[in-house]
Amino acid sequence: MPQPQKSRTIAQDRFAPLRGQLLAAVQAFSQGTHAIDKMLAAIVDDMERATNEPVEIFPVAHHSPAAAIQILRRLQDGPTPKVIFVELCEDLQPVLPGLADCQLPIALQSFATETAGFPPDWSPLTVVAPLTEFSAEFQAIAYALSHPEQTQLVFVDRSVDHIFQWLPQQEGALAEALGHSEDEESISEEADENLHGTAYGVQMGRMEPTFEGFQEVLLSNARVRHFSEWWDQYVESSIVGADYQTYREVMCLVGSLIRRLGQSKERLENDRKRERYMWTRIKEHLAQHKLQPEETLFICGAAHTASDVDSFGTQTPHRDPIPPRTQTKWLYGIIPSSFRSIEQQFGMPDGAISIAESAWKRSQEALGLRSLAIKDIKDTSQAKPAPKKTPKKTTHPIDPTNDDDASSSPIASISSVPDVLGFLQRPPQLLEQDEEQLLRWCVEIVSMARENGYLASTADAIAIYQTAILLGRMRNRHHPSPYDFQDAAITCLEKDRTPKKRNVQRLCEILLGGDRSGHVGYSSLPPLAQDVYDRLSALPVTLKGKTIQRALMDFRQNPEYSACSDLLWRLHYLLGKNNSLVRPIMGERNLGQRALQESWDISIGKYQAPLIQLAYEGVSIEQVLERRLLQYAFSSKARTVQALEATEDSLLYLEARRLTQRLGEHANDLLVQELAADAAQDIFERVRRLVHYYRSTPEGLPPWLQHFVATGYSHFSTMLPEAFSDRGTSPQQISGMLAFIFTLESLALSMGCERSQLMIAIKQSASLTQDPEKLGILWAAEWLLSVRDIEEIRSFFDHLLENPLTLAAFPRYLDGFLLALTFTPLVSRLIVELLSKAFERLPDQVLMPWLPSLLMGLRSHSNTLLPSILQEVAQIYPKTSKELDAWIAPWYRERRKRKTTIPTPLVQEIRPALPTLSNEERSIFQIMADHPQTTDALAHLFGVATTWRSPETTETPASSTATAAFHDQREADIHAILRHHPQTTDALSSWLGLSASWPTEPTHTPSALVSAKPHANAITEYLEPEAAAAAALLHHHPQTLTALVKHLIPNPQSV
Amino acid sequence: MAKKKALVQEATEAQAVTETQAEIAATSTEAASSPSVATEAAPKPSNPPKAEENLREPAEVKYAEELAWLESVDTGNKPFSWRLSPRMIRTFILGTQPGEKLARKIDQKFFGDATLVERAIVTLASDRGLLLIGDPGTGKSWLAELLAAAICGNSTHVVQGTAGTTEDQIKYSWNVALVISQGQSRDSMIASPMMKAMQLGQMGRFEELTRCTSDVQDALISILSEKYIAIPELSTNNVVFARPGFNIIATANSRDRGVNDLSSALKRRFNFIHIPIVTNKKSEREIVMFRTRDLLRRNNFDIDVPAVLMDVLLQTFADMRESAAAAASDDQRLESSLSTAEQIGVLEDAILYGNFFGEKLLTANALARSVIGGLVRRVPEDLSVMNKFWHAVVEKHAKENKKDNTWKEFSEGGKSIMSDMSK
Repeated sequence: MPQPQKSRTIAQDRFAPLRGQLLAAVQAFSQGTHAIDKMLAAIVDDMERATNEPVEIFPVAHHSPAAAIQILRRLQDGPTPKVIFVELCEDLQPVLPGLADCQLPIALQSFATETAGFPPDWSPLTVVAPLTEFSAEFQAIAYALSHPEQTQLVFVDRSVDHIFQWLPQQEGALAEALGHSEDEESISEEADENLHGTAYGVQMGRMEPTFEGFQEVLLSNARVRHFSEWWDQYVESSIVGADYQTYREVMCLVGSLIRRLGQSKERLENDRKRERYMWTRIKEHLAQHKLQPEETLFICGAAHTASDVDSFGTQTPHRDPIPPRTQTKWLYGIIPSSFRSIEQQFGMPDGAISIAESAWKRSQEALGLRSLAIKDIKDTSQAKPAPKKTPKKTTHPIDPTNDDDASSSPIASISSVPDVLGFLQRPPQLLEQDEEQLLRWCVEIVSMARENGYLASTADAIAIYQTAILLGRMRNRHHPSPYDFQDAAITCLEKDRTPKKRNVQRLCEILLGGDRSGHVGYSSLPPLAQDVYDRLSALPVTLKGKTIQRALMDFRQNPEYSACSDLLWRLHYLLGKNNSLVRPIMGERNLGQRALQESWDISIGKYQAPLIQLAYEGVSIEQVLERRLLQYAFSSKARTVQALEATEDSLLYLEARRLTQRLGEHANDLLVQELAADAAQDIFERVRRLVHYYRSTPEGLPPWLQHFVATGYSHFSTMLPEAFSDRGTSPQQISGMLAFIFTLESLALSMGCERSQLMIAIKQSASLTQDPEKLGILWAAEWLLSVRDIEEIRSFFDHLLENPLTLAAFPRYLDGFLLALTFTPLVSRLIVELLSKAFERLPDQVLMPWLPSLLMGLRSHSNTLLPSILQEVAQIYPKTSKELDAWIAPWYRERRKRKTTIPTPLVQEIRPALPTLSNEERSIFQIMADHPQTTDALAHLFGVATTWRSPETTETPASSTATAAFHDQREADIHAILRHHPQTTDALSSWLGLSASWPTEPTHTPSALVSAKPHANAITEYLEPEAAAAAALLHHHPQTLTALVKHLIPNPQSV
Repeated sequence: MAKKKALVQEATEAQAVTETQAEIAATSTEAASSPSVATEAAPKPSNPPKAEENLREPAEVKYAEELAWLESVDTGNKPFSWRLSPRMIRTFILGTQPGEKLARKIDQKFFGDATLVERAIVTLASDRGLLLIGDPGTGKSWLAELLAAAICGNSTHVVQGTAGTTEDQIKYSWNVALVISQGQSRDSMIASPMMKAMQLGQMGRFEELTRCTSDVQDALISILSEKYIAIPELSTNNVVFARPGFNIIATANSRDRGVNDLSSALKRRFNFIHIPIVTNKKSEREIVMFRTRDLLRRNNFDIDVPAVLMDVLLQTFADMRESAAAAASDDQRLESSLSTAEQIGVLEDAILYGNFFGEKLLTANALARSVIGGLVRRVPEDLSVMNKFWHAVVEKHAKENKKDNTWKEFSEGGKSIMSDMSK
């Protein structure tokens, strides 16, 4: 080992001219020299200090091929270091052996769903540290893993936990820290290609200046668009071919410059914390293992070489305390990454990593090096003695066989090539490969463009080459950079429109390497993921493929696929509906349904990360699913609906009866505690589904569900009065409760519930609410329970419609009835009647403002309620316009019919005074009364049998007679009036084309009537002329109507 | 429209002058471009085509002094017979960067992506023609003029493409009187601007290339690839060869792309450069101020537009673009393309109006008047679009910015003029 003393003196001599030049530059360019003077001097000092440090500091930049090349050469040719310290989170180290079966780029991941001590909105926390082949850290890792006897690898940076500890502990702080990458994501069109998700990226040697002003000046002076372009052009390309010592010195200079000028305060503070951490860890390790600092290598970001913390360097004994970690439980693993994800994560321009990769390949070729790859790691796992590979043909100047004391260390050997200033002044050497590569690109882009529909030819290749060279010259470049080439290609090829999918910009990106995504091999996968791979292997798809695979499953032909289908559904459930991993294309999973065929899009090969993340939670998919369901149902926030949902999901995705039962019982417990009715609708729908499902199974309803229904029946019944009186409970919720009660009543009664409970609750509710909507629901319920009679309701509404002051409330009642449809379809006829009456009788000023809200109201029920209403409407209303002329609404018809069907004795009592009844008619009535079957049949045809034989009417003959009498009386009066004022009717009938004769009533013989019996229409015809005439009359002369109404109903009968 | 016509006229006038100017430029570039010559020529009042007296001076005259200075300090490689090296041209167009070691500051003249300008310059140094394509009012012609001025010191070899442009106007035509009296010869031939540019090794410009019919456009193919024009009517001396330094800068309107599509043979010979609409508010502000000052200098007054009003104008245009983008049909958007050039027109109009008819100071009211007057072209469609926009967006701004009266005044002014228009 060379003595540090000696190299220092040499170094001081060497750096003198550099200092001189820098000072001269200061004097030439600036007025107030003090600050810059000091700073430039400090940069050289920093470099000197870093190169004199006994621990061999190897400064790197992120994803820099030059750094990778240099470390490769250093490790192959220099003395073998006993320990390599790497600036990466120390707790990520244990996952490294898993690299053996991976394909780069991959990312080391750390993950925590439950956090302790961090703001709650941060979780889940994820950290990724992407690794590419052309990064110094990977090369060092690969070296250490393939030479485990000689070299030990130690990660020394702060743990993942500290990353988050050191962020300001506020709600938004994490989002801010991630802000950069999220911004990029929104710009990128293919955001879903980001394989990292919303992870916090950790990267070694991040060099990008965070001080905006500095970066702006830097970029505009260099005529580049992005920092990585600047880096590539000014640093990367020149140091690739430099010797080791020069590389270190230049990187230290650049790192120091950027640290001193280009960093924002927060970043600097964070850096200092990390440096203290790293140096303390290094010293601890050295002390523990009794190692000499000279035997070690420390790979860190170039900016850290200029650190100003006290603990910098092994020469000071100063150590800093390491802060403790929080209680957060971190899980570690390896996930695949991609170039594009890395670019997005760290805010690099598109294609930057691909360009770095091509530079890496080119320099490797030029220098005759062979990189360490993952397969080198694998070799050692087979316990081969890991000798140094036979030295490759290298073109670099150091001769490894030289045994001279001074040159055995690369540091010393370089001192014979001392001139860092000279290096900085020389233009970088042009590699032959650069020129060749440019030519190749020019040719290839033309052929690619042609494939993509551009009219490109050799002439274009020539033009691109020429333009690229010209652009490079103009931008002060020794050789056109890939960015220049890209510009040139766009200039020469892009015309007014893009012929196919890809434009030239995109083609260039593809040409320069394109996106590449990594892959985690089977043996590196966690057990859960391996299990998934194993179980899906029955499917005829290649799971390792990066493309989307379509799996077609016919369960009749291949019954073994049904297990795969189960697994896919579980995955689909666990990963969320919008995951890209597995997507059902055809087939769905519902309770009690079993698809015969299914097809899935599977791209597990491409998106391994979510699967691996899932594996942190358990060892098999089923276990994870069970845990998730239990967590969901038993969480402190869970309510009955959530528990029921979990129960249903457990039925759908897991065949675990005990689990289902446990969840169901829990739902039952929760229901008892439930105080509000807001989820009633949801609960009802879920329970109904479950009941229907279980009824179809051979076992029938399980006990827990029976209990649940019984509990629900009595629970909701008890809650009804409160729900009706409570203003906070909406009519929808009440209708949900009633739906539960009525729909599941029979089941509940069989479980020992009593209907009287409901009856009492309903009766109690009647006095508790004045809300029209709730009243509507209540009446519907009462009607269903035979507590209220439909005539009562009807007449109430008639009354309501008469009074202009109450008109406005009508729609709200109607809304209530509409909601009642959810638990009984019987009200649909009433609803249609009420609606028709509303249209008929509501004045425009009430009707018009209500219409939009009615439409909107109906629309929200379009799936559930509307069909039954429409069905009813279709039955009631005529189907053709011809029929319309001779049509009257059944509710009016009923009234007419009642007149014709009223038993004779009653009529005779009341009607003698009526002049309209002829003897003939009386005889008809007589006949009909004598032979009620005919009329019954007729009535049955019309579906209006209530007034004749229904028990209600028979029970209360007085009221029905009174009603009938009233109606007949009214009609008689109308007749009288019409008769006294025949002009109106005459005019009307002439207008209608009827004869103006005034028959008392159309004459019909009983025989005619009887013969008409089979044709129900005949009766309607019989009624029609008069009704139509009256309707038309009323329509044309509203005054008459008003007069009539006033005359007839001075005091409307209240029912 | 008026402006375009003026430009055409100017171009044709310029053709007459070109001869002399070009000769000067060709024979003694130094003399033509040095500021001393220009100032010497000025005092003579009798001669009509004096530089100072022209309504609008071409870029090479306007920036003559700057160009001459740049040429004197230019040490870079100059392709062909270019006056400046590519890097200097970039400096001329984009202004000096802090890192450039130039003794004087050069103002930025074209506001846009630097890459775009670099690509344009490089294209002209290569074998291909340059086609600037973009929405109307994005500064295509201005960039073309600057490039031509910087490269060869003459931006007036212009052919204006219209539906009526014939091949004669691209190649050559005959002076009929001379042909009758002397017969066909090089003397009786009238060279087109293109041909003159070829003869002098300068930049030829072709405005609105896609407005010409395809067969006329194709006349350019031979010029671009063979670099000569044959004159079959003559038996001797019948080929006009292009001298080194000749190239073509064409502009095309991406809105009229469908009118006369370029043939693929011609497309191949042009490098297309898309000039995007400026959406960056900061640079748009700079452009509007730069051009408006420039235009107003013709009327010999300089005016300071209050920053608030500038904001109002820019915001209004940004909002209008947004609502135009959201509109479903053409009837729901304004006919105007709402480009930067429109903004310049509006601002200039407002300033002129204020200066000549109102108070000297630009008011929000006058600005609103110009915005509406300038953008409402179709009545009633545009007016109703504008009415809707005004009440939905401008009113909202007026209500939000209660402290500042400008938006309110602006909104009121707009409403009053709209109600006048709808009478």
